[in-house]
Parts: sequence; C-alpha cells; structure tokens
Amino acid sequence: MNALEARIDELLAVPPYSLSPEEREPAFLALLKDELEYACNRSAAYRNYVRHWPIDPRAAPSVADLPYLPVSLLKADPPFALVDPHAIKKILTSSSTTGQVPSRIALDSPTSRRMSKAVIAIAQDFLGEQRRPYLVADVPSSVAQGPAMGARGAAIQGLMPFASQLTYCMNPDDDGNLRLDRDKLLEFAKAHRDAPVLVYGFTYILWQYLVKPLLAESISLEMPNVHVLHSGGWKRLQDEAVDKASFNSGVAQVFGCAADRVIDFYGMVENVGVIYPDCAEGNKHVPAFADVIVRDPLTLEPVGDGKRGMVQVCSVLPTSFPGHLLLTEDVAEIVALDGCRCGRRGTAFRFVGRVPKAEMRGCGNIIRRRELAR
Amino acid sequence: MTDLIRNADSPEDITSAAAELRRIVETASITLNQSLEVFEAWGLALGQSDTADLPGVPFLRLWLRRNTLEPIITKELGPGALNGDWMEDGRARLKAYPVGIVGHWPAGNIEIQPLLSMTCALLGGNACLVRIPTELSDVTSQLIAKLIQSDRQGILTSRIYLLSFDHERLDLHRAMAQSVDGAMIWGGEEAVSTIRSLPFPPWARLAVFGPRISVAAMDAACWSDPATREALCRRIARDVWQFDQQACSSPQVLFLEKKNGESTSDFVQALWTAFEAENRAHPREAIEGALTSAICQARANWLLKNETNSAVFPATPDWTILVGHGSEIPQPTQGKTLTVLEVPDLLAALARLDGNVQTLGLAVADPEKEIAIASLAASRGIDRIVPLGRMHVFGAPWDGVDLLRIMVRIVRHLRPVDGEHGRSA
Repeated sequence: MNALEARIDELLAVPPYSLSPEEREPAFLALLKDELEYACNRSAAYRNYVRHWPIDPRAAPSVADLPYLPVSLLKADPPFALVDPHAIKKILTSSSTTGQVPSRIALDSPTSRRMSKAVIAIAQDFLGEQRRPYLVADVPSSVAQGPAMGARGAAIQGLMPFASQLTYCMNPDDDGNLRLDRDKLLEFAKAHRDAPVLVYGFTYILWQYLVKPLLAESISLEMPNVHVLHSGGWKRLQDEAVDKASFNSGVAQVFGCAADRVIDFYGMVENVGVIYPDCAEGNKHVPAFADVIVRDPLTLEPVGDGKRGMVQVCSVLPTSFPGHLLLTEDVAEIVALDGCRCGRRGTAFRFVGRVPKAEMRGCGNIIRRRELAR
Repeated sequence: MTDLIRNADSPEDITSAAAELRRIVETASITLNQSLEVFEAWGLALGQSDTADLPGVPFLRLWLRRNTLEPIITKELGPGALNGDWMEDGRARLKAYPVGIVGHWPAGNIEIQPLLSMTCALLGGNACLVRIPTELSDVTSQLIAKLIQSDRQGILTSRIYLLSFDHERLDLHRAMAQSVDGAMIWGGEEAVSTIRSLPFPPWARLAVFGPRISVAAMDAACWSDPATREALCRRIARDVWQFDQQACSSPQVLFLEKKNGESTSDFVQALWTAFEAENRAHPREAIEGALTSAICQARANWLLKNETNSAVFPATPDWTILVGHGSEIPQPTQGKTLTVLEVPDLLAALARLDGNVQTLGLAVADPEKEIAIASLAASRGIDRIVPLGRMHVFGAPWDGVDLLRIMVRIVRHLRPVDGEHGRSA
C-alpha cells in the first residue's frame, strides 16, 4: 500500500495540465491496474465484478478497457468501502434531488488528504497560489462538522486553502430557507473592492438568492478582481430559461467584473478531489492524476473529437472506496483529446447534461408488483 | 407525421372522423371472407424487401394468414361465421355483429401492436379509430402502406382512421373515448390507468392488456443434453431479441432446473454462443443512454450483490447473461438482459409466480411433467404456456381474453315455439 500511495503522490505532484496523453498514459494505466488489484484484494464483491469483466484488466491495453463501475453503485448504505469501518473519517454525500438516494462516499485519511491536495493543484492553475478573502454564497451550516458532509460543504471546504478570511453571506430564515444577508455582502464588497477575491456558490443558489435580487435592483458590488466559482448543475436554471451566457453576464454585472472571471466547474462527490473548471476557451480539462472518457451509448466505445456520449471519470486518488473508474449518468462532448488553445494539455470536453431518464412505457414495464396494487 | 396517419389538433377532428367511420360501419357490411382475402394479400405484400425485416413483421405476417385466422374465427364466432351464417343453438340461433367503432390505444414499444390490435376489431366487422404513438409513426406508415396497396377497393381501409396526437392531450383522448363503442388498451401501468379513466360511453366494451413480464423454464433433461441444448439456446435468444426484450411476452428470466452436482457451464457457453450469433444477425441500431446505463447497472449489481453470482457479457451493451440461484425474479432490465436462475425444482420455483407473468416459455423433456407445470402455471395466473422460441407468436386468446369475441355482439334470435305468437302446430 505504501508503494501504491507513493506512486499516487508522484502523479499528484506533477503540474496538473502539463502532460500530453502519450506522456501520461503509461504510468496512469499501470497505477490504475495496481489500484484495481488492491481494490479486488480488499473486496470480494468487487473482485467478483472485475473477474467477469470481458477484458482481463492485467492485459488491458488502455484505460478505456479497464472495468468501470456505474456510479449509482456508490449509493449503498453503509457505503461501499475498501477500508475497515474504523478507518473511515468522513462520509461525503451527493446532492441528490428529492426522492433520490444520494451517493455515500467513504473517505479515510489518505484519500481525504489527496482530495485536498488535488483540488488545490487544480484551482491554483486557474486562480494562482495567493490566499485571498473568500466569500461563500451559502450558510455556515453547509460545512457541518461531523462525520458526514454534503456536496455543497465539500466544494466550499475544498476552496478553503485559498482563503485568507472567510465570509458567509447567507442566513437561514425561520423556515430554513436561504436568505441573503445584504448588509454583510455589501460590507464585504466595500472592504475588498479592489482586492483579489474568491467567491463560491452552488450555481442555483448564487443565481437565485444573490445575483437575481441584486440584478433586479441594478446593484453592482464593483469588485473587478473577483473570481466567481460555481458548481452544481444547470437543471433548475434551465427550467427558468437561464443559459450559461446570461448567467455569466448577470454574475459579471452584479460583481462588476469581466464575464471571463465567472468560472463554472463540473464535479461530483464520487470523483473526489477532481474538479473541472472552464478554461478561457469554455472547455473543461482533465488533470494528470485523472481522466475523462466519453462513451458512445450504443457501443460503449470511447468517442473522438466533436462527439457526445456518456461520461466516465477515472482517478488514481481514492483508495478508500472503488471510485477509480466510474461510469456516470452525465453526457459530455469531447472537444479535443489534446491541444486546447488555452495551453492545457490532455482531454478537453464540455458538459452537455444528464442522460435522460428512461421513460416507463410499454406492455413489458411493470412499475409495481401485482400484489401491491391489490 | 405522414399522410396515412392524420394529426389530430382538436376534439372536432376526432369526432368528425368517428362520424364518417360510423356511417361506413352502419351502411356497408363486409364478410369475413372479404377481410381474410385482404389480410392474406397484405401479409404477402409485407414480405417485400422494404418491410420484411421490420421488427415484428414475421409475427404480423403469420397472424394475417388465412390458416391462422380461420380456426380462431370458427372457435370464437362459430362454425358458420366465415360464411356469414347464423349458428344454431337449440331453439335459438346466434350470430356475431360488430359493436361499432373500436378505439385502439397501443403501447409505444411494439412496432406491430397497433396493427395487431386493429385486425382483431376489423375481423368483427368493426371500424377502427387508432391512436398511433409518435415513436411508431414511421414504421406504422410503412406497414399500413402495404395494406392500402393490397386493398384497392378500400374494403378495410375505409374502416380505419389512424391518428396521432401528443399523449398528454387529455382533451383528445377524451374525444376519442366518447366516440367509440369499444376500446382495446395496451401498455404500461400509467398509460392503461389514464385511458381506463376516460369517459367512455356506458355501453363501451373495454379490453385491457396491461403491463406484464414473461419467463422461460427448462428442465435438466433438456439443457444438459448436448443434442438439444444448442437449438434451445437459439430459441431463447430469438425470444429475447424480438422487440429488444420490451414486450410483455419477452422472457426476462430463464429458470434452469439443476440436479445435484451438475455444472451449467456448458449450457451457459451455448447460450453465450447463441446470443452472439443472434446479435450478429440482428445488431441493435440505436439505444437510449438510459438503457445503456441500466444494463451496466444490472451487470454490476448482479455481480456485487452476491459473490457466487456470475455473468457473461461483451464490452458493448448488446446483450447480458446473468447467472445465479433462487426463484425470485429480479426487476427486469430489458435490453437483452437475461437472468438465468438455477433452481433445484422447477415446480417449486414456478409455484411462486403470480399474475404479473403473462407467458411461460417451456422446454421440458417429460410430457407428463410439462402438463403438470402448465397446470400449475395456469393456476398461478399465467395466461400463455408455449414452447421456447414461440413466446411472441400472437394468437388468441391473449392475456386470457378472446381477441375477436370481445369486440362483437353475439346476437341471439330465439325462434317462437308452436303456439307462440298465435302460430298453430
């Protein structure tokens, strides 16, 4: 295990977007194979899955041939872990919508440490190393102290290393709904008007509770050196017919900054430590310690430039749960397998949306068993 | 939308179409022989290269043959029905008459279902108002074009009105329901419940073919015999492949009777070979991402939940064989995902089935045992027990219901005895 950890750390130490796919693949593939073997030794169930994979992982010529797990398999409770229960330090939960079962991700200390290092490495590439005042468009209770943490909390905490000072600008009202603390926000803006500042919020929360009300009153916070990061998906905004361009423009207007300082990042708690911020070209990039494969739903083969398909995330970071190779229910488009004009090496892609839910129809679809209907 | 399927925009579109159908059904009667002639010609036309390979067409052609339909007509409507004769019944005589206009609400997953449903009502002399699900619009147009080509005089086509509208347009569903004298309703639970609750006239006959699944079963003598194994595996593969395993008659599970110590590995290998061959012959041309995702989940779930479970599948989502033990039917995945469950005793396993199961595809070497299994399955709620390879062959009764009789009125003419009505002896 120590040797494995050392190799993970080695890859984690590489500047995240410095390697071409050819330079990265051999070490990445070898490490993933060894991690798979480690995971198989830790879990008989996982071993059974890998054993039945149509391609022998040891002989797999590429990362795309290795056995991937559908991300929904991480919804198990207790969480699907590769470590003993006493070694689990934190359980991350995904932000599932009402009625859905959230993913539960078991983190031990080493995985947790690597997760923090990875987020810092990625964010530094976009923000620089400097610490700065950090404004969070959320309530403090989102980062609950305890063994469980949600996706919002994980994202807020992941950016803490960039903070010189932390300010939350939302409060819960009597019904537990979010409410903007306008005085606190304006005070923060006044105090840090010309300074480099970091702002983070879930996409919908940022829009609904901060940007939309201030836009309606034509208020500008006049913070030209701000970086506004947001994540969490677009579904609710799409329902309100807010597209990315209008979102960026609205946020930029409220903060008084250029629209290219508004950075959307894609991430999921199951893909611990890996976030995918938009570059200046509007693309998302894969760091050296991870990969993204986009698969054609008809063949499950990886697609090439300009093609869409189902997203598989790959990462060498986790050792506490089998999250190395996960087939998600997201759809993305490969922009280029290398050579984005922003200068970052490796795969560049764009997030498209979710795989549409299966429509229950037809005479062979039993929704509930007959005895329950009686 | 095509010319053959009319887009309905308002309730009036539907009521005026129904009025025209009613005029035709009340003024122009047709004989069963005329209908059978048209069907026979239609079946031949469907064999042309542009339609022969469309999903389900072999079953539709088989159904349209005179040899298939005549016995069903005779059984359900009486021996004289083919010639339009009354059937003697003691002092009375009986004859089938149409109920009038029959509305059809087929499911969106079976390409030939609108036409199968429609033919049942046409054989009763009815006119048909058929809602074509949007996703079946193109294929239905291709198939109905062959009927038009085969029915130059419009004997049957004048009695058919195919229409399309958004499934959420309740006003149009309502207008359709209010216009008909009978309804044949097919599909999933939600669709069936919605259609059933429409304001049909109080006299309307409703035939509901709701959501069900199907299973297959083989006894040890069949699967362990190298002489029969491969042929049986090819038949199961055929049953799994049709309609992408989404039909109510598609097998989701194969119960394999396993006696002490026998290994099923040769059988699984033969099934694998049969699935690969069927996939080469009939490759999937498109798939929804949600189904791919469901297939990947089914594979992983199966192998992770029990370390004694095994599976065979390619790197593609083309097909999946999940192998395990026990008689509990897992939630169907569809998309050519067959769960093979080894059981020590077929009778004990099948005793646990219920009316959710429509069809049991069987391969049992011992005829007495086959009869015992069929009787048990029937008592548990299963409506069709057929040999493997024939699970989708459409025939009457279906879902335990006569297909022609339900959409006709059997008129009884009781003749007066001597002395009645003043008649003298």
